[in-house]
Amino acid sequence: MKRAELLLVSILLAASTLGATAQAAFAYRGDVWSNSDGFSSNCLGFTDTYPQQLYNLANAQLAKLGYSPLRGELGPGFTASAFLGNVAAPWAVYVHTHGDNYWAASGYPNVDSGILQDPGSGRCNSASTDMIRSSSIKNATAGGVFNLVIMSTCKLGANASTMPGAFQIQKTKSSTRREFYLGYVNSTYDSAALRFEQAFWSYLNVNLFHLRTASQAFTYAMSIGGYAYPDSSNPFQANWWGNPNYNGTPGW
Amino acid sequence: MTRTKTTAVFNTTGAVKTVLAVAVVVVGLVVTADRIVATSTGGSDIEVGAGGANNSKVSQPVQTATVITADDRPDVFNRAAAARDALGFPVGARRTGKHVRDSYRPTDYDEVEEVDGAGQTLALTQFDPAGRLISAVRFDLPSASSPKVGMDAATKSATRGISASGVAVAGQYRADANPVLDGWDVHWDRSQDGYKVRGDETRVHVWPDGRIQSVAHVEHQLAAAPGQCLGIDDAKKVVTGQFDRWFAGRGSGYEVQQMNLEWVAPNAAFDAAKLSAPPAPYRLAWVANVKPSGVAADYVSLVTLYVDAGDGTVLGGDVVE
Repeated sequence: MKRAELLLVSILLAASTLGATAQAAFAYRGDVWSNSDGFSSNCLGFTDTYPQQLYNLANAQLAKLGYSPLRGELGPGFTASAFLGNVAAPWAVYVHTHGDNYWAASGYPNVDSGILQDPGSGRCNSASTDMIRSSSIKNATAGGVFNLVIMSTCKLGANASTMPGAFQIQKTKSSTRREFYLGYVNSTYDSAALRFEQAFWSYLNVNLFHLRTASQAFTYAMSIGGYAYPDSSNPFQANWWGNPNYNGTPGW
Repeated sequence: MTRTKTTAVFNTTGAVKTVLAVAVVVVGLVVTADRIVATSTGGSDIEVGAGGANNSKVSQPVQTATVITADDRPDVFNRAAAARDALGFPVGARRTGKHVRDSYRPTDYDEVEEVDGAGQTLALTQFDPAGRLISAVRFDLPSASSPKVGMDAATKSATRGISASGVAVAGQYRADANPVLDGWDVHWDRSQDGYKVRGDETRVHVWPDGRIQSVAHVEHQLAAAPGQCLGIDDAKKVVTGQFDRWFAGRGSGYEVQQMNLEWVAPNAAFDAAKLSAPPAPYRLAWVANVKPSGVAADYVSLVTLYVDAGDGTVLGGDVVE
């Protein structure tokens, strides 16, 4: 028995050493971006506390999935140039800000989804100057592969959204690649996004072994109910596209 | 940078494969360790969600689970089996249980999972400390070729299922087609003393073939109603006074679109100092939906303000960015 235990300990030690080597050899970066200045006292008279909460949550949970290092910015560092200049590198991208599906003169369905950068300290957002279009993101990602993309914004989970395509994720629920895109369909309260994402992450990261899939976590989070919504035209509804069997961990 | 990442995807080198093989070994060992933990009689604690994020001044919520078994908690496992059968959920090759302290939702609950031979969760049920069903979810998928049912049949299925599983509902239901998950959402909003309890509901998602996919029963503790309620005109003065102060000199205007009395959770939406406060019972409040105009309309669609119906204080609110 003792020999068996010793052998097991030796194997574990060796494996953990090799595992650490493997982890060092592969850095699967995750970027978390959250607009906070646009929702600060300077612009609204009050500071919306949700951007910070969602940012903290995403950072903690992406790390549990194995994304490292974690980059991105909360606040003034979340500029269009910083976002577009970095977006090709990470394997996971999380964004919390204002998002919508904006009209585009060309391309079916005449939509070019967009998100707003952080306006910067002392400034407030302007749709005309702060917009980061999905077409620009698509150019910046240049065909690169992404594992996990979460748009914690309004409307970028709607069928009309062009944001998944910016990350080369097709709007199908039967992909066989290691990819998962999550977004909200309608205008969404921050409190509902936080409740949903807390449930999503808590189910997905229930332990260190990543046996659950992101689509299961989505199903769980949608199923617990209790989501406030602005009006009957905007019921709470999240959506996903990607691989139903993918567990959210980085890599290919 | 993109080229590097893209290339890495399609050009697997021998060294990479070696490291991946090692990773598989590590994962295998870890999975084995998990099984040992899960079957230990002493139980184990698993933490989810803790972690220090950048710029964090607020501790993250945590979820702590303790393993329970059919031997030490037969009441929970019997309840779970009854709910599973009442809802027509699949039966697993084995069942696992845990007691969860969840500061996310926040609540304590007992959870039983139906697990298939491959270790995948087929379904789960969760019960609050009083033994009431709070969530039931199945994770398999309906057959695309199954016959579809209409809204009436879906509603009857939902009503039958929750009745059989011991969930009490009152008042009118509402049924909506679910454009993302397909099928139907049938829900009963909770009200108390004639006023809606914000977010509290019983919600059933019914697959297109009429089978139940999930049940959620959300019910929060309510504080005593105030002896005397602020009138709508006085409440509106509180709202306009607050927004006048907030928006003064910021190039933004606003319109109060709607004001209703509802039970709400006091929250920290506008006050970070309250983020560490423990959850408080819901209070009766005037809920004002305020639509920004001018500059703020570019980035905020709606601000919802909760004004205590008793003393007129601001209890919190919500934002649609």
